[in-house]
Amino acid sequence: MSERSRAEEHLRVIRSLMERATIYRAISVPTALIGGLLAVATSAVICWFEGAQTPGQPGHDYRLFAEIWLAILAVVLAVNTFFVRQEALRDGRVLLSSGARLALRAIAPCLVLPAATTVWYFKNAEPIDQEILVAVWIAFYGLCLLATALFAPRSLVLLGWAFLLSGLLLIFWPKSFTGDPRGLYPNLAMGATFGLYHLIYAICVWSSQRSGTRQILTPE
Amino acid sequence: MPDFDKLDKAIHEKGRLAIMTLLASRVSWSFQDLKAELKMSDGNLVTHLRTLHKLGFVAVTKEMRDRPQTSYALTTKGRRAFSDYLEVLEQIVKAGKE
Repeated sequence: MSERSRAEEHLRVIRSLMERATIYRAISVPTALIGGLLAVATSAVICWFEGAQTPGQPGHDYRLFAEIWLAILAVVLAVNTFFVRQEALRDGRVLLSSGARLALRAIAPCLVLPAATTVWYFKNAEPIDQEILVAVWIAFYGLCLLATALFAPRSLVLLGWAFLLSGLLLIFWPKSFTGDPRGLYPNLAMGATFGLYHLIYAICVWSSQRSGTRQILTPE
Repeated sequence: MPDFDKLDKAIHEKGRLAIMTLLASRVSWSFQDLKAELKMSDGNLVTHLRTLHKLGFVAVTKEMRDRPQTSYALTTKGRRAFSDYLEVLEQIVKAGKE
């Protein structure tokens, strides 16, 4: 075997080992905490306003619901970029590391249907459409997280399953028994999933990462 | 022309190269995770890690959580050595093509 072939073989082995070992946490713990708190607060504020209104009031624009939540998404994405960048700087990596690119490639296809459903919602915007929109957002967010399962930590995969199953539950929930004349149900689902699930995730990951006595050994 | 003699011998050994590669892929690795990924015996892994630690390529952190845990990470020196090693390999490939 020539030196070139040997070198190529070594590089191939190194690359496959590195790809297999890459772990990328697409959602940082501080983002989950801030995002969770924002979602709970947003859900509470919307509930408070909606609760004060008469059900089925004429002129009510259901698009506002999606606009508010999309604004929250924009804020959380900015916060996540900031924290992921900080983490990358601390570890001496670039923001768009191979892990980040891998995650983006895996997530991208799962964003197509929610994006299309959101566009469709802005054209229709009826209470029933709001329920469908929320179920799609929740289920596909779960799918996005699960798409990174091959290189994501276990906690993120569990979070993905929680979202996916909650999305399915929302679709099949027996709505006729819930009695929700004010249409608060989709908003409460957003608060419970994007709010509480992220808070639980942040607390669990943070408590597992907390260090006890730590001793760093220097080379002799 | 670059050749295999220019490669860092400490890293070039198969087991140590695998360890350096894994350490370069994450911020840190616990001993148990390294062992599971590389399928090495405790003794073999400890020997290689000790060699890399003595050379200043690997930092060792001992933590007391629910139970004692030792984790390993590349030092700046180790990261540079690994990157130099890869560069020599790439140069060999490039030289072979010309």
